[in-house]
Amino acid sequence: MKIRFSLNGSTTQVEVPADRRVVDLIREDLGLTGTKEGCGAGECGACTILVDGESRLSCLMLAAQLQGCSITTIEGLAPPEDGSLHAVQEAFIEHGAVQCGFCTPGMVLAAIDLLKRNPDPDREEIRRGLSGNLCRCTGYVKIVGAVAAAAAPGRNPEAPREKKESL
Amino acid sequence: MNQVLLPGSLAELWQALDIHPEASVYAGGTDLLVQIRNGLRHPTSLICLDRLEELKGISRQENGTIRIGSCTAHTRILVDPLAQKGLPVLVRAIEGLGSPPIRNMGTIGGNICTASPAADTLPPLYVLDAEVELRREHGVRRLPVRDFIVGPGITLLQKGEILSAVWIRQPVEYHAHHFEKVGLRNALACSVASLAALLRVSDDGIIEKATLAWGSVAPTVFTCPEAEQILIGAPLSLEKLRQAAAIVRRDVSPITDLRATAEYRRVVSGNLLLRLAQWRTNPAAGA
Amino acid sequence: MRREIPEVGHSVPRFDAQAKVTGVEKYAIDHYLENLLWAGAKRAGIPHGRIRGIDTSAAAALPGVVAVLTAKHVPGTNRQGIVHKDQPVLADEQVRHRGDPVALVLAENREVLKEAVRLIQVDLEPLPAVFDPEEALQPEAPLLHERGNLLLQATIKKGGGAEALAECDVVVEGEFRVPFQEHAFLETENGVAWQEADGRITLIASTQAPFRDRFEIGHALGLDPASLRVISPYLGGGFGGKDGATVQCLLALAALHAEGRPVKMWWEREESFLAGYKRHAARMIYRLGATADGTLQALHCRLYYDTGAYAHLGGEVMELGMEHAAGPYRVPHTLIEGWCVYTNNPIGGAMRGFGVCQAAFAVERMMDRLAAKLSLDPLALRLKNGLERGDKNGAGVTMVHSTGLMPCLETLRRHPLWTEREAWKQAAGLFKRRGVGLAAVWNAMGYGRGLPDSAIARVELTQEGKIRVFNGVSDMGQGNAAAFMQMAGEILCQEASRLELIQPDTDRTHPSGSSSAGRTTYTYGNALIQACRELKQKLLHRSTLLLMLDEERGLVLLPGRVKHLPTGREVTLEVLGRLFPESDRVCISQFVMPVAQDGLDTGKEFFIGFPHVFFSYAAHLACVEVDELTGKSDVKHYLAVTEGGRVINPQCFEQQVEGAVAQGLGYALSEQLLLRDGEVLNPNFTTYLLPTSMDLPDIAVLAVETIEPTGPFGMKGIGEVGVNASLPAVANAVRDAFGHGPSRSPLTVEHLLALLGEPSRQEVGPETTGKNDSD
Repeated sequence: MKIRFSLNGSTTQVEVPADRRVVDLIREDLGLTGTKEGCGAGECGACTILVDGESRLSCLMLAAQLQGCSITTIEGLAPPEDGSLHAVQEAFIEHGAVQCGFCTPGMVLAAIDLLKRNPDPDREEIRRGLSGNLCRCTGYVKIVGAVAAAAAPGRNPEAPREKKESL
Repeated sequence: MNQVLLPGSLAELWQALDIHPEASVYAGGTDLLVQIRNGLRHPTSLICLDRLEELKGISRQENGTIRIGSCTAHTRILVDPLAQKGLPVLVRAIEGLGSPPIRNMGTIGGNICTASPAADTLPPLYVLDAEVELRREHGVRRLPVRDFIVGPGITLLQKGEILSAVWIRQPVEYHAHHFEKVGLRNALACSVASLAALLRVSDDGIIEKATLAWGSVAPTVFTCPEAEQILIGAPLSLEKLRQAAAIVRRDVSPITDLRATAEYRRVVSGNLLLRLAQWRTNPAAGA
Repeated sequence: MRREIPEVGHSVPRFDAQAKVTGVEKYAIDHYLENLLWAGAKRAGIPHGRIRGIDTSAAAALPGVVAVLTAKHVPGTNRQGIVHKDQPVLADEQVRHRGDPVALVLAENREVLKEAVRLIQVDLEPLPAVFDPEEALQPEAPLLHERGNLLLQATIKKGGGAEALAECDVVVEGEFRVPFQEHAFLETENGVAWQEADGRITLIASTQAPFRDRFEIGHALGLDPASLRVISPYLGGGFGGKDGATVQCLLALAALHAEGRPVKMWWEREESFLAGYKRHAARMIYRLGATADGTLQALHCRLYYDTGAYAHLGGEVMELGMEHAAGPYRVPHTLIEGWCVYTNNPIGGAMRGFGVCQAAFAVERMMDRLAAKLSLDPLALRLKNGLERGDKNGAGVTMVHSTGLMPCLETLRRHPLWTEREAWKQAAGLFKRRGVGLAAVWNAMGYGRGLPDSAIARVELTQEGKIRVFNGVSDMGQGNAAAFMQMAGEILCQEASRLELIQPDTDRTHPSGSSSAGRTTYTYGNALIQACRELKQKLLHRSTLLLMLDEERGLVLLPGRVKHLPTGREVTLEVLGRLFPESDRVCISQFVMPVAQDGLDTGKEFFIGFPHVFFSYAAHLACVEVDELTGKSDVKHYLAVTEGGRVINPQCFEQQVEGAVAQGLGYALSEQLLLRDGEVLNPNFTTYLLPTSMDLPDIAVLAVETIEPTGPFGMKGIGEVGVNASLPAVANAVRDAFGHGPSRSPLTVEHLLALLGEPSRQEVGPETTGKNDSD
């Protein structure tokens, strides 16, 4: 099946079986190994990509579903010619949010989705926003700090904030 | 598996269903693709409803009823002001469903049709007395959700039919919209017991109306008119709640599985009622 | 604040972070080569059986299948293992656990591979199976191995041993059980291998021990280890589960039959649960005695470790648990008995906390039990008995190196979470119970005795004038690569942009032991420091030649150059790199970790390991709230105070502690392998529950800095100690909240609800009253 979609800003066309998992299409057919697979069942978030700006689990998507969509993988965040990094990526490096790094691409994209919906989250909202991405190395503490810092550069991520009213 | 069809309109959908009556239909895929991975389903063709915009969205109808398209993703319901204001018990349940990407992909229609005894949206939909809209090429029908689901994973959806919408009358006569889910962790957790409750409590603390529904303690959502009757007309007190809890524990039919024993579910199904005591002091308090 | 020169002692952002955050870093799992074949194993599916026959014909006939191999295709001994070589690469006569591999398929793609594996028919005669270590020790138990079911039985005795309990004013008893835990690294076991034209086999594998892998593969397959090249990229997590061959022997075997094509093997998550190594399940029986004033006197404990079907590092895991069984305390008389037993359960192997995690639960619960019985504050009891430098530990080893437990406890004592605990507990809301619990823990560093804890560091000035470090130890996320860059940068005074690191590669870097035992930064770091100092001396001398100086005095290394301060003249590293041959631009140095010098007349049964002499220490505090209606627990606050000598990089230090605490909290609250007849009932992340970001608190991390003079820049490894404290701290918090505490883990909602419903037994008096005293 011919599938045409936008990948990291460029139009891409592939010919693959319609039921090929998107995570396999990205990693094997397109050679973009930044997107990882940790469980294949939607429970770990390592395969997170952005589809039309929203975080989705590529291990639970089939190639046919990409038709006409715009997808962003971790490689698509920092344009190669620019050399600079996305604010979330910078914050992850600066605040020690990367250990083994295997969860990191998915976590970064999940954080970007979160910040798009909620540009100024408190720590609890950040934890909720990242609750679909498992990390086995960090205990999440510095990841939360990095996302808080990315949301408000200059503000101390460790400082307690006023808790927001819940719905 | 061969085909994955993405109809762009209802007309294309009926055509696809006609040509592939055996196809498995999905929207977000968060249940179906996991079932396929676990070897529980082996479809030879799939039909994905994701492109059917006419099946998405939340709108208020003329009589104040809220209509939610079946392929509306959970996230969309969460952020919708209509749902937040009008259906807080449903919104609270969806907050605890899966995880953010799962909520971006999964739909309310999928949650209903999978009809897991532990589904998060079902207890709220039962207390809201929601109706499902079932559409086929040449016809529409509506059923109360509690009649639509007849067993664990079993619905009255017929061949050639899709779940197209959920209709919910806003529960304006209630002011306590309560939902609690017990999971073994705080996200990505299948419920081991849950309670949705709508209460109307008078100024002097008398329960005027009570509608209750439990998840994960029976083959389908469990309701208990006898427990409701004990509460209605009585003061909202721990003592009354305990009385009602005893009835609930007597009548639930939970199973033992990997997550919890039947005994635990039985005990907790009653305990969850006690949490309603918090509505005594602060009717506006959330769960 | 980012510094140009990555100085030791500062929170320099990690060297490897950028490549990982951009998705550019390639893990073993990210290698897809041209003309790739896929390999996968057919596994036993029953816990114990005799192989009557294997029919591979249907699989072999499937289009796209290149080879189907069984035991008869395995050259060499067909036995892998780290210490004891008891594990078949492909099962020959007997299968001993459900994950035992019986056949290996090579296929063109994963779909064909799956189908071919499915088509293999294995004719197995089921044998009676055993799933409990104590049952497996019975004479009538089914026999798993020719040597019997007992892998190792050992005793540690100090002073008067168990007899001294009779002299105690107070004795408390307890029996504890902990389940198998899964490493659950996000990158599962995997690798890719190919055979070159000259017959050498190259493997890129997610492995913690690339150098030892060659010997394990060589022994198993009858190959010369020198003919094997193992490359170890950054791992997507290891935690001990990738120490020892996982895919390596199967992959090398596949490569022998692939006619030069590269072969990839990737264990999907369910296969990782089935076939990967686990933390040992254990049962521990304790009797702990003290004088009335709370001075510990005697300990008698029996520890049963379930090592599953094969040894892996079972004996060594138990050894370490036994060394730590008395806790970080002065106990004059101990009798510590251990049995490490084969069962038809999944394989127990190395996992962070390596035997200590289990024993720490038991001894820390016993300390709280003792404190309750003596009406002593639990912290006061620990302060009274905590080890200090010069004391002998429970195994009889003298603590001659840095021993920082007491400052950890003192720091905890002054912390508001401890000082304000009563008020915090009183503030519990409706249907909530709050408790505060603590745990004092320790963890040895290094291999101990019996084998060299050694590393060889190579550092080079490249032709381009860069400093290249040849790392000998795998980086599985603990950040040792970053630490090495900091050390090299500090000594050679070079900026991060001038530093390069080659990850372990048996052809290019040098044998430096496994990435395990909290040893990598210490042992390799010490070797690296020497090598860097030599390189510095070399560069200064060579500069005198280029600058026509009659002495080295006045020469300093600065970023990018060597400068003669009195004259201001310089020579760049690029020039030095160009003008001298490669053999003159390399420094190689080695280091061996010192070993205990105590001559002990106990622990004779241990093969290797006993005893250790370097330990790091920690004191943890957990503030836990439990819901009375559901049993759901919420760790509201958590404090970890850790002593690991000097802190090389505070951010990395915190990372390690936070991650260890998190794994420990998973072990405490929700993680367990659910087993029935040796079958893992929860072999996926839907039913094996790791903590999500919503399940863990903000963990407060404090470092108590001492100096470990033998350590590189004064540090000791702290990678493991943190994981040992979470379960006992939370369990003790539950005891504080309920009046009695748990004796088994995990503390699931159901477990806590049941515990809540149990009445507290009354204190009877100083005599022992049976298996589990109140509390």
